[in-house]
Amino acid sequence: MEKTNPIIKLKDVTKIYQRSGGETIALHNASFEAFASELVLLLGPSGSGKTTMLTIMAGLQRPTSGDVFLFGRQFYEYSSKNLQQIRASKMGFIFQTFCLLDSISVIDNVMLSLKFAGIPKDLARQKAIEFLDRLEIKHLMNVLPVTLSQGEKQRVAVARALVTGAELIIADEPTGSLATQQGMQIVDFLNRSCKTESRCVIIASHDERISKYADRVMHLRDGILGNGNL
Amino acid sequence: MYAFKTLVNHRGRFLITSLGIALCIILMLFLLAIFRGVADGCMRYINESDADLWILQKHTSNIMRGTSLLFMNQGKIIKEIPGVRLVSPVFFFSSSVKMTGATATVRLTGYDISTGRGGPPELFKGKALENDNQIILDRSFAFKYNLHLGDEVTINEDILTVTGFSSGTNMGVYQYAFVTLKKAQSLIGLPGIVSFFQVRTEKGSDILKISEIIKSSVNGVTAIDRKTFLENNQHEMESGFLPMLYVIAIIGAIVLTAILSLILSVYIMEQRIDYTIIKALGAPRGFIPGIVLRQALILAFSGMVIAVVLFFPLLKIVEILTPEVVTESSAWQIIGVFAGLLVISLISSFFPILKLRHIYPLELFK
Repeated sequence: MEKTNPIIKLKDVTKIYQRSGGETIALHNASFEAFASELVLLLGPSGSGKTTMLTIMAGLQRPTSGDVFLFGRQFYEYSSKNLQQIRASKMGFIFQTFCLLDSISVIDNVMLSLKFAGIPKDLARQKAIEFLDRLEIKHLMNVLPVTLSQGEKQRVAVARALVTGAELIIADEPTGSLATQQGMQIVDFLNRSCKTESRCVIIASHDERISKYADRVMHLRDGILGNGNL
Repeated sequence: MYAFKTLVNHRGRFLITSLGIALCIILMLFLLAIFRGVADGCMRYINESDADLWILQKHTSNIMRGTSLLFMNQGKIIKEIPGVRLVSPVFFFSSSVKMTGATATVRLTGYDISTGRGGPPELFKGKALENDNQIILDRSFAFKYNLHLGDEVTINEDILTVTGFSSGTNMGVYQYAFVTLKKAQSLIGLPGIVSFFQVRTEKGSDILKISEIIKSSVNGVTAIDRKTFLENNQHEMESGFLPMLYVIAIIGAIVLTAILSLILSVYIMEQRIDYTIIKALGAPRGFIPGIVLRQALILAFSGMVIAVVLFFPLLKIVEILTPEVVTESSAWQIIGVFAGLLVISLISSFFPILKLRHIYPLELFK
């Protein structure tokens, strides 16, 4: 795999949460890079700091110390408007609980991402249908998400994350609410998309079965990041 | 689309909220209709008079709430002034009218039936007065007391026959009734006394000059031109009625703002996760406030539609139940209330939109 500029880079990143009764070190001196066409698995138990790391990578919160580079630029160099535009057009999120909007149809959920990315409505509809078709849920495009199975919901969430052509996909426990087979299908799809469309996919999970799809597995325990088993 | 679908997903609440807004709008439309109706009832008598000058007792500026007593022979002096064509005396006072089983107060107005000036601005039904034993009543007064043409009413000891019904003579608090000038004077026991004179001038004469001559040559009178007299009465009517209207309208607007604001806040709380997702997806800064604003406008619009549908049948019911409540509604009133409602929608959205600042995409990762 040819490695050029990293999509995301963390350098000596520490995150400390101030809480009543003391402070919690959620991430300690973490350094990490991820590149295009790479699927990285952040593996660790609950409370290990996976989510903290994901949210820092997504620019949703600042580290207490250390540097974060997003698409080659320091996180601090982005204005809030820049970050919003990056989230709309260059990043895609996949959540354990899918986070779909239940009051609008499947296709409207997918088209909403494209709307924020500035894609004209007609083209957005065309792209949304194309992705729903790729995920084999085109026939469900006009139904409300509440009527879908868990697996179907996650497919919609994946379509929504990928449809804008996002270069960085951040997935937080994407298989957590799914049966094994459904979960692996989703990861397989993400992996194929990662390779064929040069996306950088970062998955945080405690599910070791995802490891077989990952180019790299990073282990996190008590806020300490390491390669291989800790 | 999202704004509308979120509202419609909770149909029951959407309808109840719209109905609540509609009731506030109906309250405002009623207030306006009553105001216009009363204003018309108060002002039409003056508006439709063709008098160039109104002659009243000195220091009196209007007939809404002013008291004026003049002598009949002062009218004769005025008639002799060059440029004066007609002088019509009118005598009015509040009086009790006794009917079968009821007594009510009217503004009894005596006028010269030979000229008809100072009489009812419009005869809705029946015929003009022909003698001293007849009376014309306001139509809503007659309706309220179930009086018909040919019925008899008693004022003091005198029995008068109802000969006609007038319109544009309902001042809300009480109504006009018309008798001959002679009868009015005899009922109160003041022959030779009138309240004011309506003066018509010769065509092309200088009204201002005639007014000055009248004031200087007739003791104890003032002469007011038509425009000023209308303004004086309008001001007097509004100063008595508008403050009350304003207070009720402001209360209505506050209630409406509170309802809208509350319901929008509830929607925001309920849709918090949705808004968090929308933020995480990279919604531009104004997108979510735009949803709240659109929801406010949708609620306002649906409330307005329900209000307009309900308003006119309710108005009919009110007119039947309380005929003395005179109303007058127009498309402009509805447009005005709708414009006000749009402003209220904007104001109502303000505080709920502030809440959006405290929604963070980070919440989705918890």
